[in-house]
Amino acid sequence: MTVNKMFVLKNISKTYGEMRALSSLSLIVEKGEMIALIGPSGAGKTTLLNILANTILPDSGEVIVDGITLHAYKSTKQFADKVGMIRQQFDLVGHLKVIHNVLAGRLKDWGFFKALLSLIIPQDSKIAESALEKVGLKDKLYERTSSLSGGEQQRVAMARLLVQNPQAVLADEPVASLDPVRAKDILYMLTKLASEEQQTLIASLHSVEYARKYFKRIIALQAGRVYFDLPVEKVTEELLSSLYSLEEEKQHE
Amino acid sequence: MNKRSYLSTILIIVFLFSLTSIQWNKELFHSGGGETLLQIIKSLFQPDLSISTLLLALKSAWITLAYAVTGISLALLIAFILGILASGVLFNSGFGRWLSFGVFRGTLSFMRAIHELVWAWLFVAAIGLSPFAAIFALAIAYGGALGRVFADILNDVPQEPLNALKSSGASKLHILLYAYLPMTASNMLSYTMYRFECAIRSSAIMSFVGLGGLGYQIQLSLSELRYHEVWTFMFFLIVLVSAVDLWSNMLRKRLIL
Amino acid sequence: MEQYAQKKVDFMMLKAKLNFIKLSLIAAALLILISWLFIFIVEDASISALFSAKNALHTKQFFQGLVGIHEEQPAFFNIESWKDALSLTYDTLMISIIAIGFSAIGMLLTVIPAARNAAEGTLTLSRKWYNWLIFGFIRCIYVFSRSVPELVWAMVIVFVLKPGILPGALALALHNFGILGKLCAEVVEDLDMRPVRNLASSGASSGQLLFYGVLPAVMPKFITYMLYRWEVIIRTTIVVGFVGAGGLGQQFKLSMSWFHYTDVTLILICYLLLVGFVDLFSEGCRRLQK
Ligand SMILES: Nc1ncnc2c1ncn2[C@@H]1O[C@H](COP(=O)(O)OP(=O)(O)O)[C@@H](O)[C@H]1O
Ligand SMILES: [Mg+2]
Repeated sequence: MTVNKMFVLKNISKTYGEMRALSSLSLIVEKGEMIALIGPSGAGKTTLLNILANTILPDSGEVIVDGITLHAYKSTKQFADKVGMIRQQFDLVGHLKVIHNVLAGRLKDWGFFKALLSLIIPQDSKIAESALEKVGLKDKLYERTSSLSGGEQQRVAMARLLVQNPQAVLADEPVASLDPVRAKDILYMLTKLASEEQQTLIASLHSVEYARKYFKRIIALQAGRVYFDLPVEKVTEELLSSLYSLEEEKQHE
Repeated sequence: MNKRSYLSTILIIVFLFSLTSIQWNKELFHSGGGETLLQIIKSLFQPDLSISTLLLALKSAWITLAYAVTGISLALLIAFILGILASGVLFNSGFGRWLSFGVFRGTLSFMRAIHELVWAWLFVAAIGLSPFAAIFALAIAYGGALGRVFADILNDVPQEPLNALKSSGASKLHILLYAYLPMTASNMLSYTMYRFECAIRSSAIMSFVGLGGLGYQIQLSLSELRYHEVWTFMFFLIVLVSAVDLWSNMLRKRLIL
Repeated sequence: MEQYAQKKVDFMMLKAKLNFIKLSLIAAALLILISWLFIFIVEDASISALFSAKNALHTKQFFQGLVGIHEEQPAFFNIESWKDALSLTYDTLMISIIAIGFSAIGMLLTVIPAARNAAEGTLTLSRKWYNWLIFGFIRCIYVFSRSVPELVWAMVIVFVLKPGILPGALALALHNFGILGKLCAEVVEDLDMRPVRNLASSGASSGQLLFYGVLPAVMPKFITYMLYRWEVIIRTTIVVGFVGAGGLGQQFKLSMSWFHYTDVTLILICYLLLVGFVDLFSEGCRRLQK
C-alpha cells in the first residue's frame, strides 16, 4: 500500500515545553514529488523537516519512510541512503577543502582508514568532480571552503548531496541568506538536479513567489497544522493573504 | 556593582590578613644581605661578556630549548589523545559520556595539578637520573594543561556541520576526522604555541633535578657568587623566551583566519 | 577597478599568511626532529635503560615507599604528621596570597602608563613626549620580570633574605608582576573609549578620568586575571619552597632527601587538596563577579 510513498506521516505531534510546534499532523508524499513548504516563521517548518530527516523524534504519531517505519531503520547509513538534508551554508566545514566537503557524502560507505587516507589523497575524486561540475564549481575543487561565497557554499552542499545520492532531499530555507539573483540560481539548480536524479524534494521557503515558480505542490503550515495542501495552480491570493494575516492578528492580540 | 565591591573588599582583607603571617623585622635579612643586593644589582649592568661565557650560554640555551621542544611535543601527543577522549565527542551519550568526563577529565586535572618540577623529582626518584625524567615531567604537566583546553575547544565547535555529517550517514570517528579536527586544529596549535613559551621556562628550572641548560648555569654561577655571569645567562634566557614569544604571537595572529 | 585591486591585495595577504604558517610548521617539525635526535644521541637518553630490571626494582620500591607498605605507621595515618602538614599547607596558602597581592599592587601602580593608548595620550587625553619613554621602560621591565622563572628569582632572593615565607612570596610576585602587567595593559588598550570621552567633555581632570572612567571599566577583567594567576601561583608555591622559601615545598625537599616517602605522599595529598580548594574558591569568586 505504501510502496510508492516516500513519506507517510500519521498524527505527528511535537511540543517544546509549553510550545506546540506540530499538532496531529498527517501527510503523504509520493516519490518524485517537488514540494514547497511555506508559512509564517514559527509555523513548524523546520520541526517538520527535522522529523522527516530523523534528527528529532516526534512526541507521538508514526513516520514511514519508503515503506519502513523510522525506528525500524538499523543504521544511519541505511537511512542516509533514503534521505539527505541541506540547510544553510553553515552545514559545511569551512576549514576543509571543497573536495573533502563534497566527499563527506561518501562517508557512509567508507571505513575509518579510507576516510583518513582521503584527507591526504582524495578517494573517489571522480565522483566529487562530476558532482561539482553539475553545480558549476569544477574549478573550485581544491579551494578552502570558507573562502567561497554564500551561494557557492550552498552549491557545494548540493554537490555533497549528489554524492550522497539519497532518494529524498529535504532543504530547510536553502536560500534564506542569499540575494535574489543567487537565490533563483540555487533553487533552479536544486529542482533541476532533483528531477534529473528522480529524487523527491521538499524545501521550506520564505518566499511564496519562489514556491510558485519552482515547485509543483505547496503545503502551507500555520501554528503546527496544515493550513492548505494544494497543487500550485490552485493556490490563490486570498488563501495566501489569509495564511499570513492570521499571523499578524495573533501578534496584535 | 555592589557584589563586585564586596568581592574586592574581601580580597583586600584576605591579602592584609596574609601579611600578618610574616614577622616584619630586621631578622628577615641575612647579615650583609643589603650589600649582596647592591652587588647583584650592580653586576646587572656589567654582565660577563667574555667569549667563553657567551659560548657556554649559547650551548646551554640550546639544551634548554631542546628539552622544552621534546617535552612539549610529547605533551601535544598526550593532550591530543586524552583531550579527544575527555571531550566525550566519541561517545554517544549516557554511560560512555559520563565515563569520559569523569575518568579522562579527572586524569587531566591530576596531571596538571602537580607542578612539572614535582613530577620531575618523583620521576628521578622512580627511574633515576635520566633525560627522560625531565621530558616526561614536562610532557605530563603540559599534557594535562593542553588536554583540558583541547577538550574545551572540541566541545565548543558549532553544531550545524556535525549534524549535517551525521545525517549524511557518517560515524563518530568520521565526524572527528571531517569536522572536529579540521575545525579545531588551528585553535589547538595556537594554544600549544602559547604554552611553548612557558615550557622554555619550565625546561630551564629542570636544572633542579640535574638537567643541564641555562637554569643549571645560573644555579652554578650563583653558588660560586659570580653574579656577572648569572646575568649573562639570565639575559640569554630572556632573549630565548622573548624570541619564542614573538614567533608564537606572529603565528597565532595568522592562525586566526 | 579599485575594488578589484583591493581584492588582489587581500588575496596576496592571505597567501603570505598561509606561507608563514606553512614555514612555521616546517620549522617546528624540524625543531622537534633535531631536538629528539639531540636528546638521544648527544644527551645519551636510552629507552632500553629506562626499562631495565634494576630500574623496575627501583621504581617498585619507590612506589611501595610512597604507599608505605613496609612501614608500621605511614605518615598519612599519623595525627601529628597531619597537623604539621596542615600547618605547612596554611603557610603555603599565605605565600600564594602575599605573592598575588604584591604582584597586583605592582601591576596597578604601573599598568596605566604601560598601555599603548595612554602613551599616545588617547586614554588620559594629555599628550606628553616622555609618555612613550615611560611606556617602553615599563614594558621592558615586564618582559624582564616574566621571562625569569619563579624558581630562579627565588634562588637569587635567598641570597638577600633569610629562608621563610617572604622570599618565596617575593619570587612568585616578581615573576607574576610581569605577566599580570602584560595581560592587564592589554585590557586597558582594548577599553571602550566612549564613556571616557564623555566624562572628559563634561570637564573631568586626568585623575578623575582614571578613577571614574577607566578603573571601574577594567577592574572586573583585572580581578579575573588575578584569580587566574593565583591558581597558577598555588601550584608553583611548592616549587619555590625547594630553595628554602618555606611551606610544603621545603618539607617536600627534606622528606625526599631523607627518603621519608610516606611523608612525601602526605605532602602531595595536602598539595592536591590545596590546589583543588583554590580552584574552587577562585571559580566561586568569578561566579560572584557575574
Ligand atoms: N529547540 C527548540 N526549543 C524550544 N522551542 C522550539 C525549538 N525549536 C522550535 N521551537 C518552537 O517551535 C515552534 C516551531 O518552530 P520551527 O519549526 O522552527 O518553525 P519555522 O521553521 O516554521 O519557523 C516555534 O514556536 C519555535 O519557537
Ligand atoms: Mg525554520
